[in-house]
Amino acid sequence: MSGDFESALGTLSRVADDPDAYVVEWKRRTGRKVVGAFPMNFPAEIAHAAGLLPVLIQENREPDSIGRNLLAEFYCGYTRNLADSAAKGTFDIYDGFFQADHCIQLLGAVDVIRAEVPQAPVYFGQLPPSLGDGWSLGEARRTMGSFVEEMGRFAGTDVTDDALRATITLFNENRRLLRGLFASRRAGDAALTATQLQVLVKSSMVMDKREHTALLRQVVAGLAAVPRDDRIRLHLSGHMCHAPKPELLAAIEECGVVVVDDDLFTGSRYISTDVAEDLEPVEALARWYLQRDAASPCPTRVKHETDWEDHLLDAVEASGAEGVIVLMVRFCEPHMLYYPELRKRLNERGVPHLLIETEHEGLPVETVQTRVEAMLERIRRTRNQTTTLEVPA
Amino acid sequence: MTVPITDKTPRRLEINKAGGKMVADYWERIFTARERGEKVVWYNGSAVNPIFQAAGLAWCHGEAFSARLAAQHLEVPAQLAGQEYGYVGELCSYARTHLGCAVLSQKRASGAGQTGGWQGSASATGTGVIGLPEQEELASRLPTPDFFVNAYAGCSTGQQWDDISFRVFGKQVPVFNVSMPYMWSNRPGEGYMVGEEWETSSRYVRDQLRELITFIEEMTGRPFDWDAYRQNMAHIKRASELRREAMALCRLTPTPATFWDWIANVAHINFLPASQELVDFFAAVKAEISHRVAEGVGALPSERYRVYFDGFMNWNKLGFLAKKFASHDVAVVAGRYNEHAFWQEPQLIDVEDPLLGQAQNHLLCPMNHATKTIEQLVLRDCENYNVDGIVFHSTRTCRAFTNPQRLVARAAQKKLGLSSMFFEGDIADASFYKDEILESRLAAMLEGIDVRRARVGDPR
Repeated sequence: MSGDFESALGTLSRVADDPDAYVVEWKRRTGRKVVGAFPMNFPAEIAHAAGLLPVLIQENREPDSIGRNLLAEFYCGYTRNLADSAAKGTFDIYDGFFQADHCIQLLGAVDVIRAEVPQAPVYFGQLPPSLGDGWSLGEARRTMGSFVEEMGRFAGTDVTDDALRATITLFNENRRLLRGLFASRRAGDAALTATQLQVLVKSSMVMDKREHTALLRQVVAGLAAVPRDDRIRLHLSGHMCHAPKPELLAAIEECGVVVVDDDLFTGSRYISTDVAEDLEPVEALARWYLQRDAASPCPTRVKHETDWEDHLLDAVEASGAEGVIVLMVRFCEPHMLYYPELRKRLNERGVPHLLIETEHEGLPVETVQTRVEAMLERIRRTRNQTTTLEVPA
Repeated sequence: MTVPITDKTPRRLEINKAGGKMVADYWERIFTARERGEKVVWYNGSAVNPIFQAAGLAWCHGEAFSARLAAQHLEVPAQLAGQEYGYVGELCSYARTHLGCAVLSQKRASGAGQTGGWQGSASATGTGVIGLPEQEELASRLPTPDFFVNAYAGCSTGQQWDDISFRVFGKQVPVFNVSMPYMWSNRPGEGYMVGEEWETSSRYVRDQLRELITFIEEMTGRPFDWDAYRQNMAHIKRASELRREAMALCRLTPTPATFWDWIANVAHINFLPASQELVDFFAAVKAEISHRVAEGVGALPSERYRVYFDGFMNWNKLGFLAKKFASHDVAVVAGRYNEHAFWQEPQLIDVEDPLLGQAQNHLLCPMNHATKTIEQLVLRDCENYNVDGIVFHSTRTCRAFTNPQRLVARAAQKKLGLSSMFFEGDIADASFYKDEILESRLAAMLEGIDVRRARVGDPR
């Protein structure tokens, strides 16, 4: 691996580890505004086209403290961490906030930000969660239009179609590069660990896309394919809105597995869908929103045409995964609602799977590894049986 | 130490006894709807039932059925069925209970779990649900739906809930979604019933209700009876006016009725058939309360403290909590749940053209506003009802209702000098209720109120 590769990956790792430092440095360097955006469907292209830096706000690594009393303890770790960060003044680096998703826990956290960071405007444009209704596209179009208008007001400059087109091309290129890495992994390349892939996606959520793409190209150029060995192949599923802790991914991999695919938000879900470049930009963004669910079905959306469980099983088959670990953010309601449907289908197909809930604080590594190892044991037994069956009589 | 509940029993409204029978009769009609050849709609969220009624449907409100099971302490079999199906215990207990009912109803309909055939046996049906046959009987009595309608405001998993119901029933039952915008108030001048967001959202939901009626016509194969609908809405409007007039009388001291009385007739205004009987019921509620006012009779034998209740109802503990607060001479005079839900702005309903007013009342759901609006509403209520403090029910599996509570508590202290307390519980899962926590925090809050009173020479 080249020095460029190491250097680029190192830079991206530092951004993923400390997004705030990057934001501060970018502001100092450019003198421009930064938009704090919330997952999972805010069209960051619009902020970029306005000359701003859109940053998908990440869960930080600090223990929650003074903000703990601002949201109930049965809110997910990400939203409680947002509230805590707001109370600590961490979000003073942002000039404004934009949100597109109707998640009541997230809205609660954003309301805390509204109260604790009063100098920064907060805009909520609600994309329709129900995707299959006659008015869904029109409503998505109307919301995207409102983002363009509001972003222009916030930036003090019109967001032009030309600027949006250029941004869409730039963002698509970034997504394509990342998707290429995920596709390689799915096809058998084990060059990057799950933790490293998370770094690449997370830093993409934070950085200026042009800068990120340049570094990503160095990573891609410096990669040499590494065939999978005989470690057990797993698919990681779920974990909406924010990234599972790198230590958790490492703990899983330390059990002797290779992660061959995922549908994590800070993973393949984030980069699943490009924005059409041959349509009027607002129209293209509205359609992108609706198509994201078709590309990677999401339990936070309501639709009848796509099924996460089918998508998951197809992915398992395509990658050759031998088991699935469902990573569920504790208190994530849509995931809790959908999980039995996944469980039912995985059981029907005989795919071993394990549910692990995560929280902001505390990672019981030994417990996680014990549970993972129990699942691996089951997979190994299946492997042995298969091997036995394949022995000619 | 838990203070024993004494004979300081609140005087419940007598009329609510008759009201209880109305509710029981309603559910019995639902259970037997198939025998009358009626089509059945399962719905969640807003009270779209006047539309169902005009279409000649039998309507079953999912949350209402879950609440009823919990209030009767019959929720466990459905929740066990949900758990066995895979629902995590932190999921909305309304949804868990209702989806558990869906599992049981479906089994019953398919003959896989005929009640009586699996009494006491977990393994016979493969559900893992053990025993409790009578309770299970009720939980499984819901007739399976011909279609679903979802019209959820505020809760961000309301629509997803019925998307899952749809899947539990094998994706064979049609669903119609009414999408309710969350009232965030982006710009100055936007807020409760004002501003561009309000106008735009009202029209958006009204248009969807119109589409819903077209969908129902397809489902029933009959043209929609607009005259019946207008008549229903006229009844709803009048019933709501009477209810609100009666609730306003509780601003008096001593209060003639309590939050618990209003909870006991939530079902009536929420989902019972719109009819003259409903209007008469609320006229009788108002008459009884007016009589108490005239006689100087309070709902509590000794009202010493007046508090506001913020949170969803803890259905498992309805009677228990009423007695608990009364035992401390605490009159719970109002709450966000009864004040800001259930056709609370009847003047918006134009009985000649009621769709817009219906849509607007749905949008005003007390979970469907950003914190600054909730704060305005709650603090206004606190002043109107002249309360000494706020009791927040930290409703474990309802993040939508719990959402603004911490910030509202802070604002109440800062702006009105009101004490508040939080206690843990849930809408339909009794396991989350911790009596000792309520007891000790209530005692502490009342002590604080006493100290404040002593400082200003208030002799109460």
